[in-house]
Amino acid sequence: MVKANPVRRYIKNIWDSVYSTAVGMRITGKYLMQKPITVQYPDERLPIPDRYRGIHYLEQEKCINCLACARACPIDCIEMDAIRHGKELEWVLFTVDYQKCMFCELCVYPCPKDCIHMGTDFAFTVFDRSELVLDLLSYKGMSREARIRKKEAEEKKAAKEAAKAAKAAAAAETAAAEAEPESADDEEQEG
Amino acid sequence: MNDGNALLHLLQPLAPDFVPDWAVVLTVAIIGVSIVIAIVGLIALAGTWAERKVSAHIQCRYGPMYVGGWHGWAQALADGIKLISKEDMIPIGADRKLFMLAPSILLGAVFAALCAMPLAPAFYFGYIDLGVFMILAFSSLTTIGVVMAGWASNSKWSLYGAMREAAQVVAYEIPLGITLLAPLLVVGTFNLVEASNAQADYFGMGWLAFKNPFVLVSSVIFFIAVLAETKRAPFDLPEAESELVAGFLTEYSGIRWSLFFMEEYAAMFLMSAVTAFFFFGGFESPFSYLAMQSFGDGIVYQLVCFLTLVVKGSFGIFMMMWLRWTLPRLRIDQVMTMGYKYLTPLALICVLGAGIWEAIKHAVS
Repeated sequence: MVKANPVRRYIKNIWDSVYSTAVGMRITGKYLMQKPITVQYPDERLPIPDRYRGIHYLEQEKCINCLACARACPIDCIEMDAIRHGKELEWVLFTVDYQKCMFCELCVYPCPKDCIHMGTDFAFTVFDRSELVLDLLSYKGMSREARIRKKEAEEKKAAKEAAKAAKAAAAAETAAAEAEPESADDEEQEG
Repeated sequence: MNDGNALLHLLQPLAPDFVPDWAVVLTVAIIGVSIVIAIVGLIALAGTWAERKVSAHIQCRYGPMYVGGWHGWAQALADGIKLISKEDMIPIGADRKLFMLAPSILLGAVFAALCAMPLAPAFYFGYIDLGVFMILAFSSLTTIGVVMAGWASNSKWSLYGAMREAAQVVAYEIPLGITLLAPLLVVGTFNLVEASNAQADYFGMGWLAFKNPFVLVSSVIFFIAVLAETKRAPFDLPEAESELVAGFLTEYSGIRWSLFFMEEYAAMFLMSAVTAFFFFGGFESPFSYLAMQSFGDGIVYQLVCFLTLVVKGSFGIFMMMWLRWTLPRLRIDQVMTMGYKYLTPLALICVLGAGIWEAIKHAVS
């Protein structure tokens, strides 16, 4: 490298500092004018990606208490128990211990009914560690009496609907199509 | 009329006969000091809030948004209350007296310097013929406070910070003083009010920086020296939080710590105002020219002049913040190199050039 003329170097240093400061200030000035890219977190939130693994979300009405997720869990943080009343389940507990859970999503794949999912909720702050064991049940399920009551109500409703359908059929004689959709019963008992 | 204290001139005729002169003077002094203290407090509040907002927006953040409602305007107040309510801690090994005295000296120096600054063409606490000398002298006195704080803290970080401050201020006092000679050559007075009045031609745009190209260059050098003088980035080596914990502020907390910040922001405003007075028109702007033409020398003109000064000072503070969040901190040897090898010779060239320019202008006209 050729040794630069000291006077030229001196002037170049001045020019460089002025020029680089101007460039830098233009950049920061541009950012100053720009709208902030952060959001005011608790008030507004950025959209969470679909594949995000947050707190579990359980579709309890689909769950059959098969324990597949609990068995799949590598650290045994899922505990579940339910009492069977024929096709109905009376839930005792379905807890996930979030002190242990590592959000690996391995509990989701083995589920035969596709009823456990990873949710989008990630802010999970509590005052006591025991509160980190989260009960995912949204309802406790059927006790025997409730089951009987529900059955009666369903029978009543079915009868009503049948009467209604018959009435409709009578009214619309010209319409040949008489489609009665078979209601699929999800809660088949598995042997 | 053109001497002493404008407040005194306002209040002296109002005082009844039985009131002795010293009482009037005392009242005026108390009122004046209260005004200056209020100004320092307001500048510190607005300055810390603005610093946080400007830095936030440069980094594409929002900054404080909640306290007080509109964009967190009361954040600085809340911080102040927090700082006042904190425990007043003095380290065991510290020199108690010096430790407690240091912030007061800093703040007192800035108060004194602010007293020399006129707030409007007819509202000043002293019509001082060497006003700018007084301001420079008192703003240099803050260094004593910083060195005192650093020594009294009995902490190596504080002492490093204080030593750096001393070295830096000694280095940058020279270009600061010399560059100021260039506009002084053009305007021919050290008095801030007179310097401002001399720039009223060309519809209030006869600013010294536009009358002489060398003054424009020296205004840049002066501003850089001001940055070093007020310990602002990229010359915030006395504080250098990534190297020296917090420099001379390391052992300070609570209200004493906040006094340092009040001093910093007051000094920033003061030096921006001095820059405005001697390079960029002082009170004079097209608005004050218009006010002068339509309302005369009355209260409206004074108010517009005051607002002009506030806007110019605030713009100076904004430039300092902008620079702070743009440039990285220099190394101490780079600071010294810049001060001694670059700014000082350039300042001398500027003074020489300004003098020659003025001489030629005088010969031609």
